[in-house]
Amino acid sequence: MTAQMLVQIPLLLMAGILLVPVIPTRLRARAARWDQGGVSGLVLATLAMAFWMLPRSLDASTTDPLVALAKFLTVPLLIGLPLAFSWPRAGFIVRGVFLTEFVATFFRLGWLYRVSPIRLCNNYGLGDQQRLGNYMLWIGGGLLAWLALKLLAGNFKSLSPSSSPGAPG
Amino acid sequence: MSILYPQNEMLESRERMVLNLYLVTSLVLFLVMMVLGLLMRLAQGAWMDMSPTLFYQVMTAHGAGMVGTAALASSAVMWFFLRKYVPLKTSIFLANYVLFMIGAVLLLVAIFIGKFAGAWTFLYPLPVQSLGVWSVGSAVLFMVGFLIIGVGFLLFYLDAMRGVIRVYGNLGRGLGLQWLFSGTVDPDHPKTVVASTMVIIVNSLGILGGAVVIVMSLINAYDPEIALNALFAKNLIYFFGHVFINITIYMAVIGVYELLPRYTGRRWGMSRPFLWAWAASTLMVMIVYPHHLLMDFAMPRWMAVTGQVISYTSGLPVFTVTAYGALTNIHRSRMRWRIPAMLLILSMFGWAAGIVPAIIDATISVNHVMHNTLWVPGHFHFYLLLGVLPMQFAFMYHLIGRDTDRSVSRSDRLGFWMYLSGGLAFVFMFLAGGHASVPRRWATHFPGWQVYDQVASLSAALVIVALSLFTVRICLGLMHTPSSAEPAPAGD
Amino acid sequence: MMTTSDHMSAPTAVLRTVVLTVGLLLVGVAGLGVATDGFHAFTTETARRVAVHRNPPAVPATVPLVNQDGVHFTLADLQGKWVLVDFVYTRCMTICTVLGADFAQLERELAEPIAQDRIQLLSISFDLARDTPAELASYLTRFRGAGPGWQAAIPLTDDGLARLEDAFGITVIPDKMGGYTHNAAIHLVDPTGRLVDIFDLGQRDQVRAALQRELAS
Repeated sequence: MTAQMLVQIPLLLMAGILLVPVIPTRLRARAARWDQGGVSGLVLATLAMAFWMLPRSLDASTTDPLVALAKFLTVPLLIGLPLAFSWPRAGFIVRGVFLTEFVATFFRLGWLYRVSPIRLCNNYGLGDQQRLGNYMLWIGGGLLAWLALKLLAGNFKSLSPSSSPGAPG
Repeated sequence: MSILYPQNEMLESRERMVLNLYLVTSLVLFLVMMVLGLLMRLAQGAWMDMSPTLFYQVMTAHGAGMVGTAALASSAVMWFFLRKYVPLKTSIFLANYVLFMIGAVLLLVAIFIGKFAGAWTFLYPLPVQSLGVWSVGSAVLFMVGFLIIGVGFLLFYLDAMRGVIRVYGNLGRGLGLQWLFSGTVDPDHPKTVVASTMVIIVNSLGILGGAVVIVMSLINAYDPEIALNALFAKNLIYFFGHVFINITIYMAVIGVYELLPRYTGRRWGMSRPFLWAWAASTLMVMIVYPHHLLMDFAMPRWMAVTGQVISYTSGLPVFTVTAYGALTNIHRSRMRWRIPAMLLILSMFGWAAGIVPAIIDATISVNHVMHNTLWVPGHFHFYLLLGVLPMQFAFMYHLIGRDTDRSVSRSDRLGFWMYLSGGLAFVFMFLAGGHASVPRRWATHFPGWQVYDQVASLSAALVIVALSLFTVRICLGLMHTPSSAEPAPAGD
Repeated sequence: MMTTSDHMSAPTAVLRTVVLTVGLLLVGVAGLGVATDGFHAFTTETARRVAVHRNPPAVPATVPLVNQDGVHFTLADLQGKWVLVDFVYTRCMTICTVLGADFAQLERELAEPIAQDRIQLLSISFDLARDTPAELASYLTRFRGAGPGWQAAIPLTDDGLARLEDAFGITVIPDKMGGYTHNAAIHLVDPTGRLVDIFDLGQRDQVRAALQRELAS
């Protein structure tokens, strides 16, 4: 469970990020017209993430080869790619909402995995689930600390009055 | 003479419309919530029949409504002054209002149709274990309402954060951290930016904590088998709740910094102690919440002790620099005694006096006997009714100022003194009740306690009349102010 | 759209983004709804309950099994009776003991219909490597499941076990101490051999109520 959620899925996601330059510039420019402020892309990625956060989906991806295939295709294409594509266009507020929700999700899932008396996935033991919960709390805390530090003392060249709006990250 | 209405505070018509929405809504909600408060005191004083079920619904509505409205009105103060220094988006300010109203409707439906009566603190596991008084569905609706309101405020703070970073580089520089130990403090660094930055930092974290605990409570409502650690949930709820209500004064105090010097005609400079005070409070406001959990014996001892110590010091730095600054600013000045100035002075008094019962209650040995008595409502009503609200009213009166420019009208003067005397009598009845060990959150009071409730009812009625006067006056004033941008005349 | 000038592009892009985002949200929420059976089943365990309620699957009737007395049989032999099935391994010291206690209790509570041959309790072991008819017999003795109303059995082949696990939705994973972690539940099979309901551990009262309802009708 830990390996799947904290290693496999992030790696697949990164594969998606690396795919951006492969897309023809023309196509990217056309897609951008449907993605003002990066909102559509981030919403798409969020929905796809929500799907792969369902214990059912994780379970099925380890037992059903078709679902596994779907995971290997959709995590890069529907999460990693739109994230990397839309992030540079997202303004401070859109990024802020996304990151707040992202950090909160780590805390929520971590807490949930720690306290759930039932195994959420049939393919993984309770011990694995609780260990993953602890890791997620640490990751959430780390992300939050990094964001706080960045906001308090970081450099935001993109936000300076002379350039166009951008944000941390 | 200093200028009362500087050019850079002019409002475009769209900005004016949104601000008016905030202010009129706040006043109307304050009135409605005060009437609910009066009904509770009447019921406790046995002057009115109210079933305990309804009492707790009313109590929940009064708590959630007052906290929300105080935050709404205070954020209007912050927005109005902060936009002079950093770019803010009117659309985001409007979005916060719209989300607030959607959330408020959900809260009201959950309370008065769904019969939710688990108090505004939605303390786990009460919302989902009502013993049949209300359904899990209405508890869910209530918490979703909070979630939506939280998202609105988060948008507002993110916009302010973006603005501060854009102008000052990062939040640390907005707070003035670079001048804590060395360097020459920029005398023109706006106090508004310092206070706003503190609010942005603290309340974003508070809302994050709230978003986590609310969603977890929702998961628990969906599947009761997933039981949360009640003490941990309580910690998060009070972290969120304490920060959220506490921050209303730190937003509203911006009005004091901006307006008081205009009425005294004296400069109020920036100083290193001022920056230190706000930096210290930024930290302390976040770690002071355990004073709500001093009676939870399962809390780690060190947290309780920290809670007590920080409670003594948390509000003090900012209060001290503000009160000291205000006094030196007023001292031997040629104060223009108009309603805004009078309300500002009142707010400093309410803030100061409201801290005293809080500090007493934050002492662990006292807390064990006092915390569940009316003493605590005594503290926070003092602080809110006579501290935060007057700051907000001062701002509103200032806005409509051209009417009240020349002199203080008789009705305003009457309203002010009614508000002050009614408010004082009202909070002292809470404190006296607490002193006599009257428990808080009880729908029915013994005859021996009812005299406090009855005096409090009369005083509350007085406050409501005063607020009605304010409301009519301010709403008429806001309507008369031209909707298009127009240079406001300078003061006398 | 190719001709859209820069001057016009910002508002149209906003409009398109709003349309696309709303569309994505609708499709996404609907998709999540489908993926969770209308926001009912977030875990595989709930999902198989929902699926069973909606469309009771036939259980593999021909898988050869051997019981604690060494007698060979298949699930087809049990048709005509209501069968309560659980999955265990006899060395299990945790969850299977709860299941065993539940079954023992049910055997006593349902003594009457069991005597009338209308109900059968069946514990199927998935530990083909270790469990034998003798182990099954001692497992039953441990819970005083003496009578013919409660039988224990092992599939004879790995393939048979896989078919049973698949049909009943059982996932078995080895823990690191030589045992297994597995989902535990009480499965109700109707007289025609369809899996009609799944109950959690400790839901003995609900099992009994369901059976009494079925037998009365």
